[in-house]
Order: sequence, then C-alpha cells, then structure tokens
Amino acid sequence: MTTLNARNGEGEERLEIQAPTIGDWFKSVRMWFSGAFDELYKSKTAMAGACMLLSLIIVLVFAPVISGYDPVKPDYNAFIQEPSAEHLFGTDRFGRDIFARVLWGGRRLVSIAFAAVFFGLILGIPAGFIAGYYGGYTDAMIMRVVDGLLAFPGILLYLLLVTLAREWHLEGILNDLILIFALGFAFSPEAARLSRGAVLTEKHKEYVEASHTTGEADLYIAFRQIGPNCVSPLIVESTVRLGYAILIIAALSFLGLGTPPPTPDWGGDLSSARDYMETNPYVAIFPGLAICYTVLAFNLFGDGLRDILDPRVVER
Amino acid sequence: MLIYTINRILHMIPVLFVLTVVVFLFMQMLPGDVIDTLIGDEEAEDPETRALLMKEYGLDQPIYVQYGVWIGKVFQGDFGKSLITRRPVSLELFESIPATVYLAIVGISLSILIAVPLGSIAAVKRNTPTDYAAQVTSLIGISIPEFWFAIMCVLLFSLYLGWLPSSGYMSPFEDFGQSIKYLILPAAAVGFRQAAYTTRLTRSSMLDEMNKEYVDTARSLGFSEKKVIYKYILRNAMIPTITISGLQLANLLGGTVVLETIFAWPGIGQAIYLAIIDRDYPLIQAGILVLGIIVVVVNLLVDLLYRVLNPRVALN
Repeated sequence: MTTLNARNGEGEERLEIQAPTIGDWFKSVRMWFSGAFDELYKSKTAMAGACMLLSLIIVLVFAPVISGYDPVKPDYNAFIQEPSAEHLFGTDRFGRDIFARVLWGGRRLVSIAFAAVFFGLILGIPAGFIAGYYGGYTDAMIMRVVDGLLAFPGILLYLLLVTLAREWHLEGILNDLILIFALGFAFSPEAARLSRGAVLTEKHKEYVEASHTTGEADLYIAFRQIGPNCVSPLIVESTVRLGYAILIIAALSFLGLGTPPPTPDWGGDLSSARDYMETNPYVAIFPGLAICYTVLAFNLFGDGLRDILDPRVVER
Repeated sequence: MLIYTINRILHMIPVLFVLTVVVFLFMQMLPGDVIDTLIGDEEAEDPETRALLMKEYGLDQPIYVQYGVWIGKVFQGDFGKSLITRRPVSLELFESIPATVYLAIVGISLSILIAVPLGSIAAVKRNTPTDYAAQVTSLIGISIPEFWFAIMCVLLFSLYLGWLPSSGYMSPFEDFGQSIKYLILPAAAVGFRQAAYTTRLTRSSMLDEMNKEYVDTARSLGFSEKKVIYKYILRNAMIPTITISGLQLANLLGGTVVLETIFAWPGIGQAIYLAIIDRDYPLIQAGILVLGIIVVVVNLLVDLLYRVLNPRVALN
C-alpha cells in the first residue's frame, strides 16, 4: 500500500493521503460488476441479450483462432459446397469459407456500428447538455436545429453521403468513415434530445445547488456531476441504435453502396448470394442469420435495460 | 386548432430549407466539372461552348444565386432532365409514385390487420405464455432485416415452390388476379416489419390505458369485460398507435428503396436506386428531395390527425 506523507514546515502535523491501490481498484470494479449483474438478473430479457452479446463479442474477437480459413482468398478446389465438418457453413462460389466470411464481416460491421453510435453521442451529448444547462435562447436555438434534424429522414442522408463517397472513389477505411459519420450524425439529435431532458430534471436538485455555492465551474458541474446521472436513458437508446445501425449498414452494402467485394460483409455477401442461392441456399441463409442474431441481441439487451432503468415499465 | 396548424406549418419551413440545401449541396460536391456531368463529354470540348453553357446554367453566378435559381425551378416542378433517358426528371418521378403508394398502403393495411389483434391479445393476457410468445415474435420481427426476409421469401415461394413470381409488377387495372400474385411477396416484406413494430406499440399503449381510472369506473358500472376492452381501452389505445404507425411511414418509404430493388417494383425507391447506379444525378437529387418532402408532409398530417383524434392534448 502506498502512503504519501505530507509534512508541513515543523514536521509535526502529518497529513495522510492514501492513493488507491490496484487491489482497491479491482475491488471497486468487482463491486460494480456484481451490482450490474444483480440488476441484470432482474430482467430475463436483459440477461438473454447480455449472454447473446457476450458470446457474439467473444466469437468475433477470437475469429482468427476459431476459423483457420482466409475470408478473402478464393479456393479453387472448394466451389459452392454445402455445410460439412470442414466448412461449417459451406463455401461460396469462389470456394471461400462462409463461416470465416461471417466472422470477419461481423468484426467490421460491429466495430463500425459502435464507432457510429459513439460519434453520435460525442456530437449530441454536449449540445444537449449546453441546451439543458443554460436554457433560454441557447436552448431554443440548439433545439430548433435538433428538431429540424430529427424530422430529416435519415435513410436519405445515408443515400446521399454514400453516393458521394462512391463518386469520389473513397475506398477502404475512408468509405467506412463516411458510414460512421452519416450514421453518427443521424443519431446525434436523438442523443442531444435525451441528454437535454436528463439535464433538465437534474439541474434543480440540491447537489447541483450545493456545487454552485462552492463555486464549481459550470462545465465541471454539467459534465462531472450532472453527467453521470443522465447516463441511463442514453445507454438504452444507444443499445437500440447499435442494432439499427447494423441493419442500415447491411442494407446499404446489400444495395451495393457499402463496401465493395472481396471484403467480407453480411449485406454484400447476401446480395451476391442472390445470383446462385438456388444451387446453394446456405450462402443466403447464414449471413442473414448473423444479422438477425446480432440485431436481436442488441434489441433484447436494450429492451431489458429499459425495463430495469425505467421503474414505470417494470410494473407491467 | 387553426393557430396550431399554422404554427406547425411554419415549423416545417426550416426543415424543408435544410432538406433543399443538403440536396443542392450534394450536386455541388460531386467530383469533376458540373458541365461534364450535365452535358456529357462530347459536346463540352470547345472552351467557347463551355463558357456559353456556364452562362446558360448560371454556373458563373455565386453559389447562393445558383441555389435561388434552382429552388425557383423546383417550385415550378422543373428538376432538370434525366441524363439517361433525356426526359424531364419530374415526369420520371411522378410516373413511379403510384406504384410506391400502392405497395405502401397494402403493406401498412396488412400489418395493421395482423398487429392490432396480436398486440391487444398480448396486453389483455399480459404475463401469460401467449403474451410472451407475442412479445418474442415481435422482437424477432423487428430484428430481421427486411431485405433478408424478402430473399428468404423469394427462395421459398418462388424458387422452391414456384407459387409466386420472384419479381416484377403489374398494374391492378390491367389484370387484377395476376397483379395480386406480383403484389403478395413485396407487400408481405413491407408488412411484416411494420407488423412487428405495431404489435409492440399496440400492446404498450393498451397497457397504458388499462391502468387508467376510467377503466375501473366502467367496470364498476357493470359493463362486460368485452365491452370495456373493445369499446373503451382499444379505442383510446389506437390513438398513439395510429400516430406512431403514421410516423413509421418515413421509415417504410426509406425501406422501399431496398425492397423495390429486390422485387423490381417500379416505384420511386427503385427509381432512386437505378439513378444512383447509373449516375443520373438530377434524378437522384430530385428523387431524394421528393421522398424527403413526402416524409415531412406526412409527419405534419399525422401530427394534426393526432390532435383531432385526441382533443385533450394541449395545443401549444
């Protein structure tokens, strides 16, 4: 245990400050987890969603270990095979292992979805906080913009941006960044609306008044003190948004407006599967099931979290 | 009500302004010379012709003037000419609207026919296996991407069973029986997702209504349970359900881009998709603008309808 000894001039008074040790930190993390687990346990829906998500993330993280096949390199000895012990989900028309493609496609898709939702939160939360905290004209101005954006049909924005990306021949990571930007931007007004609402309910509570009295800076109060109390509606909405983001990305690449082929992609693979799914239906079945599983996991988890965090719903 | 209506219409103006600006900027942000994209390569070689064309299209003017000229033309229904067919874009678009409206109306009706009874039963029998089954089904329903559902339907009903055509369109005025055959799969694909949403919505608004005091009053007056549920609860629960289903129309129209493409349905969604593939910029621009305007106007109408159905809501 580290002990800092601060002595004053005479060396008579001792002020002891204990810095947290690794052990303490571990303990608090464990407490937080067991607390979270107790909460989760209250809702079967949330538990089911959490288990599905956890297994999904483990499988995606360990994709290279789980499947030894290259998702991109064609194998001319294994065209269009049905599922077997060798190829769990079968192979596509270039002899590529479908299971490997589903895994690698999932890694990309889920990371893009997370990045997009994160970007939306980064854009939306400060706007919502500032609007809610300062009120008045600031609030009115920010919320007009938010209302306008909320009414803007999101899918059209995606189509425009993705078309632009295609015309500028943005490929690889740049193309993904455009997707992240479009999805995140479309989510930001919702994030702003939610965080503003949460700030409005919190800002008149006593602990905030107390902070004002002790002379804390506005920004410090808004983000460090009110902030943590506004997390729950944002977490619920973000979870549901993750599922939605995955549906949108898959739909765009299904239309051939997302990632160009050889890159494994659930939507893109489904689209190319349409040409020969009569000979091997598995090429069309498995990537679709992967999308359903992932989106369902996020939806279940989000629904369950809503039940836990919103006591009004639990009564039902 | 009149003041509220006027107020709402005024609120629509900034949204439409943002929409037109975004769509206008899209054209400006395309790579390359606008003259090349508008005219095609052959005619624009000569610098003198180019200068003449620049003047003719107003491209020598500052950008806000160009926007003003463009928006003036849009108000007159002049969106320019398609680069592919050389016909006015407005003509191409307005020919495709009936097919989309037809599909949307059939899809929504189908979803209401399934969802309202299912949601009501789930709410009445809450926390029973019936309720859980309905909840799980609808949650799975909103997690399935519509394009995958469509592909699976094609695989089963067209390719394996051969009952229905896999794609195509026939006007109901031409051959009614045949047109129904073409309609079934696309309408099912539009309807199933919508049905899943509406089921959840009906269930939760029924539950909200059931907890209200007038229900107890009605019961204590000795009305039969059937009468209480159908005459009072269901009626009131329909108000938010109808409203939110109306707002969902925006999502549905976005979804038509994917579904119309899969089923080769000659609606506005397919028109936009084909325009993106063919790089027919004026058509993309106009298509997205028209779809956006439809969504904004439908949102307004739904909002007004909600006030009419539910006069208790304060008009602010």
